[in-house]
Amino acid sequence: MSTQQRSPEPALKTSLQAAYAAASAEQPSSLPTQEEQDKYLEGRPRATAHHLGIALQHAHQIQAQKDAEEMILDRIIELLALPSSPSADPATPSPQDAQLFKTALYPFRPSDYDSLVTERNNEDLCGYGLCSRKNRKDSYAGGQSFRFKYGAKGSGPGGRGRSMDIVSSDNIEKWCSDQCAERALYIRVQLGEKPVWERRANDTQAKKIQLLEEGRAKSRRPKAESSKAAVRTSHLDGADVTAGMRNLDIQDSERSQELALERGDTSHVHRHGRVGVHIKEKEHGSLSPASAPQPRPEDATGGSIEGYVPQERLDKDSSSPPKMREICLIRSEMDQAIA
Amino acid sequence: MDGEIAQHGGDSDREMTRLWRTWRTVYEMLADRGYEVSDEELQISLNDFRNKYADPMGYPDRTKMKIQARPTEVMKMKYTPLPSKSNPTPQPDCGTIYVDFCPDSSGVGTKQVRAFNHIVDESNFHTGIFVTQTPISPSAVRLLSGVPGRICEHFQEQDLLVNITRHELVPKHVLLSPEEKAKLLERYRLKESQLPRMQVSDPVARYLGLRRGQVVKIIRKSETAGRYASYRWVI
Repeated sequence: MSTQQRSPEPALKTSLQAAYAAASAEQPSSLPTQEEQDKYLEGRPRATAHHLGIALQHAHQIQAQKDAEEMILDRIIELLALPSSPSADPATPSPQDAQLFKTALYPFRPSDYDSLVTERNNEDLCGYGLCSRKNRKDSYAGGQSFRFKYGAKGSGPGGRGRSMDIVSSDNIEKWCSDQCAERALYIRVQLGEKPVWERRANDTQAKKIQLLEEGRAKSRRPKAESSKAAVRTSHLDGADVTAGMRNLDIQDSERSQELALERGDTSHVHRHGRVGVHIKEKEHGSLSPASAPQPRPEDATGGSIEGYVPQERLDKDSSSPPKMREICLIRSEMDQAIA
Repeated sequence: MDGEIAQHGGDSDREMTRLWRTWRTVYEMLADRGYEVSDEELQISLNDFRNKYADPMGYPDRTKMKIQARPTEVMKMKYTPLPSKSNPTPQPDCGTIYVDFCPDSSGVGTKQVRAFNHIVDESNFHTGIFVTQTPISPSAVRLLSGVPGRICEHFQEQDLLVNITRHELVPKHVLLSPEEKAKLLERYRLKESQLPRMQVSDPVARYLGLRRGQVVKIIRKSETAGRYASYRWVI
């Protein structure tokens, strides 16, 4: 399962679930003691242990939210210290720094990322986390808050002239260069909008953050990658399939716990999630072969409409059948007379 | 050249005056909250202030500007919770306050706030007020409010240029002590959640440093009744 494979992380915990696990390992008795539980139930005459469980669940959720916010704040402060060497080149960051940067950014939302950029600028650093240079300072702007920015020759409309932008100088001063701005914004668009405490464990969108350089390298050789993948899939044999099928079994308590985690159902009280997963085969009531419906006597008058018999028809059924029959007889006699 | 110096002098003078007004408001705020403040401190003149806190260039030296004040007996009484079964002799939930003016003129972030938090924690102040010239970053705000067991507040200098509670349209806010609050609820047979409310982020609530759960009495003038009192539960 994806949640289990993420355990070997050096300093930072990549997922909130991993962070929970670490937190609950530190303080094993996050559940209230029996006395406290009894006290809670005593003050509320109609409450049951189930209510207590739900109350605890919500309390844990709020706590998780607070913890997550604190974790993000800690990471912002940690990321201020990057890159580890003062001469690091943002185009080719050291693998440790890049890994640290990417894993630390996992719980961030774009707004958190923005505050990281502001914090870095406050420290006189370029807003891109892996750049060691200082951010630009608009010396000649002289109180003007906007600047003209010209592109390279031939970048204008229709490939002629230069492109021109009017950019607020705040945006320019965030970064050391346009390249760093591009790198930083490339990361910003990959962050998930959903706060981390609402994300599910299998929410893969924000997990794979790429640096701009990695993204470019990948887009340059996509064909080789895909052909390799095709070869890999063709090697799937029968043994793999049966093992995979066995893997689908969820009656095991450990696996149901994993499933609950994946749903975001992380309650300390209901270890295996609030929803019990019990698979039951549907039993067939009768094994007699199906046959075509037989006409029954009451069907002659049209029968009921989903069990409802219209009032008029009821009246007729009780009192009129003889009359009806008479009318029919009279009719047939008349027909014969006419003929 | 002469013009430049005069310009310079004007600048420093202006900053000094602005800061003096802020300084006086801070002292008024401390007095209104119930801390021990002397009359000289409250009514410091611009000249005295300049002599005390100006650097040789005539600009204010914010590193010197630090205030500490102790709560008065009245304030302690107001902040003492009612005795309960588990806590028969409650201690007042207030203590020495510390005010710090941040010298950095731009880009106040987590670094400065962490230093401030450290001072508050180290010297064991109960409450800290951090006054800056510019707004502080969102993560710094979070960091400031995250000190366990201590209360850290933040004001911008320009917010304190004028004492808002001295404005004629702002009615008088009086904090009720826990006994007074209990009596009020008893008299009107209310639960506290049935009172009208007021946010902690309300400018007057920020000025008075109100906390969640307290009740203030608001006394306004009324044309028909002379004076009219209403109550607000701070949430």
